[in-house]
Amino acid sequence: MNAVFVLILGFIVAFIGYRVYAKYVDTKIMKADPKKATPAKMYMDGVDFMPTSKNILFGYQFKSIAGAAPVIGPIIAIQWGWLPAMLWILAGTFFIGWVQDYSSAMIAMRKDGASLGGLSHKLISPKARIILLSFLYFYLLLIAGAFGNVVVSTAIGLKAAPMAWLFMTIGGILAGQMIYRWKRDIVLTTVVTVVIALFGIWLGTIAPSNKIIGDALANSRWVWAIAAFVFCYFAAVLPIWRFALPINYVASYIVFLGLLFGIIGVFVLHPNFTLPAYTGFSIRIGPIWPIMFVTIACGAISGWHSLVSTSGTARQLEYETDARPVGGGVMFVEMMLAVFALVIAGTIYASSAEYGAAIAKGPGGVFAAGVSKFLGALGLPADTGRSYGSVMMIVLAVTIMQLVIRFMRIATSELLSDVSPVFRNVHIGTIIASILGMILVLTGWWQYLWVLFGGANQLMASLALMLVTAYLMSEGRPAAYAFYPMIFMFVTTVAALLYTSYNLLAKVFTGAVKGEALVGNTLMGFVGFFLVIAAIILAVEGVRAFNRYRAVQAQPAPAKA
Amino acid sequence: MAKEEKKKGGFFKAVQEFVYGVAAHDSARFALKTRASMEHLFILITMGDMLGVPILPPYYSLRLLPYVVPQISTWKRRMLREKDLTDALA
Repeated sequence: MNAVFVLILGFIVAFIGYRVYAKYVDTKIMKADPKKATPAKMYMDGVDFMPTSKNILFGYQFKSIAGAAPVIGPIIAIQWGWLPAMLWILAGTFFIGWVQDYSSAMIAMRKDGASLGGLSHKLISPKARIILLSFLYFYLLLIAGAFGNVVVSTAIGLKAAPMAWLFMTIGGILAGQMIYRWKRDIVLTTVVTVVIALFGIWLGTIAPSNKIIGDALANSRWVWAIAAFVFCYFAAVLPIWRFALPINYVASYIVFLGLLFGIIGVFVLHPNFTLPAYTGFSIRIGPIWPIMFVTIACGAISGWHSLVSTSGTARQLEYETDARPVGGGVMFVEMMLAVFALVIAGTIYASSAEYGAAIAKGPGGVFAAGVSKFLGALGLPADTGRSYGSVMMIVLAVTIMQLVIRFMRIATSELLSDVSPVFRNVHIGTIIASILGMILVLTGWWQYLWVLFGGANQLMASLALMLVTAYLMSEGRPAAYAFYPMIFMFVTTVAALLYTSYNLLAKVFTGAVKGEALVGNTLMGFVGFFLVIAAIILAVEGVRAFNRYRAVQAQPAPAKA
Repeated sequence: MAKEEKKKGGFFKAVQEFVYGVAAHDSARFALKTRASMEHLFILITMGDMLGVPILPPYYSLRLLPYVVPQISTWKRRMLREKDLTDALA
């Protein structure tokens, strides 16, 4: 099948989903009202609550949700064949993905801009909030581990990447200095720092890491894991304007330009899929159900989005009717990003064996090869294109990682400061989070780590859908559009986590793994089981809340005087 | 013609806002958060004078008071709002 046909199919699904299904839910079920005052207007404090244009929020939401996951998921999932992967991306987004993003923003708006923790407290129970927050810590640990692994494998597999990453960091730090300290013009700052980042991408091709630090260090997982977590350490402890934000700022231009020209390149080359449409029900990491459904997380449905929708976007929406383009519309754009990643993986290799050899080294190499090919169609040399793709992959992963480590530092302080005041120290919290992340990166097999991350991510999404269902039931509105996706996601993700955790721990208890793998399997296995137990407790609390709301709705209305 | 021009301006403005949203909106929000923290500090300094209990030498805090008073309503909203860990994410 031709890749352009797949892209057009994606556009059609997005159009129908947004214009028909999302519009129906928005007008008939949620009954969005542009005249209703939103929390951004009611509680405007000039900081968190601030009415903001929907176009700005569209960009903000896209930047916040589109990390490495929608790209990596399809690249791994194509091992089952491109057809099931494509069907899940399209159907997952159409029936579940946008529903979660949009509805979580809507209910946060209707509940005075409450965060996910606050919503679970109000709609489910006080216990639900505590469990949700501890669930979050381990979920974020899996993100740090999975994305850290991507950074390490990309830095080892593509020797141009470290130099490009270094120059991106230098450009970012300079951008922070120019904007906030030297008060330079934003256009000048942008041009200078983006050119520095682009120079680093080119320099990487003539000064690869193995020529500078030698083969042994350039191929060491320890070196790049330490580099990644030192990067995150600075992002977590330095003022956010000095390091994390300006690097994200410069990186956003690099990623945005790469995606834009990459998609144009697909239309120019319009290649055919060369990998098989379907390879079989079961592969090394597991069966198609439930494992493929959690492997493609962000491109179909992701719990991360509900965190952004509730704590960030819902507090800035100026009108209730803006939730559909911002919450729902952006999810359809991310679906297109996942389809683009699928096209990359499915069209650039001549055979399954060639793809298998490439994916064994990590998804970064596959992505970079695709970016190189499609940017090459517009005249960019192959080496520079590969360097560009590799830094895109690193940037997409590391920008989420640094946010996660920063958050884990705050979580450590909140959860453990009563045990000992030492946990309030920013360095201690960051070091704990970094060490845990590094253990996962250095000891866990990346595909299992990815499946666990995807499972936790989508379990988070099913919990967000549980909150949406509880809200709809409490209001006496039809809840089926959120209830059935919630059931499907809950069963699928619990099955995936149990399957993977059981496999990991079975290897530990039968003595099949030793050394590093023993540590990695044990840690990943227990984290997976913990997440399942936390989710089951939350589900029990959720069912109790549903029964409560049903009982209230079943009561006869009080007689009018 | 005028309608067309308006449409064109609308499209370019939308693109401009989208790029701002992707690249800079987060930075602007964090800058505002930093400023809000500074305002909290000012309010804390002048709190004594607001209540009629001088804590700092009154001259300095009284000089600050006029700058702080307009912020009191939004400060109250920020301080009294229920917060949890997930607030740190966005």
